[in-house]
Amino acid sequence: MVLIACVAVLPLTALAGASPFAAAGDDEELDAVHHIADGYYLDFSPIPKIELPRIFLIRDSAGKLKLDFFGSTKRAVASGRYDVIFEDAAHSAAAEDHADDEASHDDGDHSDETVEQDDGHAEDDHAEDGQAAAGAGGHNSPLDGKLVPKDGELVIDFSITRHLVFVWIVAALMIWLFVGLARRYRRGVGRETAPRGMLQNSMEALITYVRDEIARPNIGAKADRYVPFLLTLWFFILFANLIGLLPLSVTSTANITITGVLAIFTFVVVQMSGTKDYWGHIFWPPGIPIFVKPILVPIEFLGIFIKPFVLAVRLFANMTAGHLVLLSLLGLGFTLKSVYGTGGGYAGASAGVLFALFIYLIEVLVAFLQAYIFVMLSALYIGAALEEHDHHHGDDHAHDEIPQIA
Amino acid sequence: MDPTAMAWLGAGIGAGLAVLGAGIGIGRLAGPAMEGTARQPEAGGDIRTSMIIAAALIEGAAFFGLIICFFLQGKGA
Amino acid sequence: MLAVNLLSPNPGLAIWMTLTFLLLLFILRRFAWGTITSALREREERIDESIKSADRALAEAKEIQADNMKARREADQQAQAILREAREASEKIRSEEIDKTREAVQRMQEEARAEIEREKQGALAALRAEVADLAIGAAGRILDENMDGDRQRKLVDSFIQDLGTN
Repeated sequence: MVLIACVAVLPLTALAGASPFAAAGDDEELDAVHHIADGYYLDFSPIPKIELPRIFLIRDSAGKLKLDFFGSTKRAVASGRYDVIFEDAAHSAAAEDHADDEASHDDGDHSDETVEQDDGHAEDDHAEDGQAAAGAGGHNSPLDGKLVPKDGELVIDFSITRHLVFVWIVAALMIWLFVGLARRYRRGVGRETAPRGMLQNSMEALITYVRDEIARPNIGAKADRYVPFLLTLWFFILFANLIGLLPLSVTSTANITITGVLAIFTFVVVQMSGTKDYWGHIFWPPGIPIFVKPILVPIEFLGIFIKPFVLAVRLFANMTAGHLVLLSLLGLGFTLKSVYGTGGGYAGASAGVLFALFIYLIEVLVAFLQAYIFVMLSALYIGAALEEHDHHHGDDHAHDEIPQIA
Repeated sequence: MDPTAMAWLGAGIGAGLAVLGAGIGIGRLAGPAMEGTARQPEAGGDIRTSMIIAAALIEGAAFFGLIICFFLQGKGA
Repeated sequence: MLAVNLLSPNPGLAIWMTLTFLLLLFILRRFAWGTITSALREREERIDESIKSADRALAEAKEIQADNMKARREADQQAQAILREAREASEKIRSEEIDKTREAVQRMQEEARAEIEREKQGALAALRAEVADLAIGAAGRILDENMDGDRQRKLVDSFIQDLGTN
């Protein structure tokens, strides 16, 4: 039912969302990448952006580590201790140029408009990529740039990003949901009787699916030890993917850092459960002529790192690509409007919304599929690491190689 | 030719090729899987599971290509 | 610019994410998964147990049914055997009775025959003695009286006639 609600709501929000864009002016385009990328703000479109706290760990010129906290990016810039640098080479040069006068004529109240004006100058200065800047970052503000301390160097930028906020939302949802469910089970519903209600039934179906179809067949006898990890991974990815499909939200799994951390967890779990046979297979593959070993061992060794890397990239790329396609289709109306006028805009919007609905439904499938794939492959790798071989390797080696390809 | 244009061109062609490869791969995978399921409907569940896993692996490879294209697009922008 | 932003990892975010996920893992492991999985296991075991006990009960019922069938068949067979035995016994008794009767009759016949024989022998002996007496008497008479041929003939005839009437 939730899914149906999402699907029903999406085209509406797409249409509703069109109005502020249209109001903003004809030259403004829908920037899909900007909507997917991480940022230091929350964007619930009709209401203004909510800036998130910025936290910097810096080493100042005296060599002392210092934690700098600001309520928002605006305040951080206003403090005058930070320069805004845009990662694009041309823009960063422009930002450098304007850094000085920015500091000079903006003291307390630093607003978005002044920065945008600065960028306007930058575009004038760099005429050859003026168009690109207007397309990619028509709304360039310190939020799109990188803050670098004037005094000392940035060690780690601990700023809260919107993807992190949604990770927390997912985590809070999971804790609320599953601790609540656990209380239900403790009361006896589902333990002594059949589970009651749609929520408990559906969650139990997913939990038993992960345990019986993913963990047990792939890991084997010790599967139940890994079930909590796999369940957390599964529900985290699934909920993050699905929440990302809701209007006004962002997909935290469409972020290479977050999927990377998830993959690192899998990596650590796999290496921690590796048996002697597992390491033996990597550093001294049995049943293979000596002269092949120098070639194979580095490949096997690299495979340890490639597997989680691919895991992270797959999830990230799937979620990113899906949302890019979705947003590009929704932007079809604007594109056609700028090319063919209002009529083209209407035609493009109606076709785009229909296509987007189709892609949206596929995205619901992909949300489940990618969570499944991630957890499934994690279980497969754990199972491969746990495997104890009997020492006639000739025939079962081919079977071992399958996860290797991944 | 302008390097930016080259980068965009490369990104476009590369994305097309990556999708082409993935499409061929998944097509080659799905056809026999369907055939197998038709011949042995009772093995359908197993076939579907391994098909999905293999499709995801192929897709993963294609995404590597797409990410390179993304980099190129970034170079262009 | 943004594409690069999309692909470049953010170390600060990675640390936040690691902490978040570790905390999530810990909390859920401690307060949710343990309870849920053990509850599921408990329920599964109970369902398994009840299925097994139902199976056992079914097997028992089948066994009892089989036992009943066997007992009935055995009883049937026994009844048949008893019936057959009774019939055989009665047959035997009847034939024995007949035999005995026949034997008795035979014995009686034989006894009667023997009696008759004895009586006959006695009668013959008595007759013989009588005949001898008569012969002696006749001879005496013949010897006592001188008789001519005719008288002799008449005498013998009368003797035989006497014999016949006797």
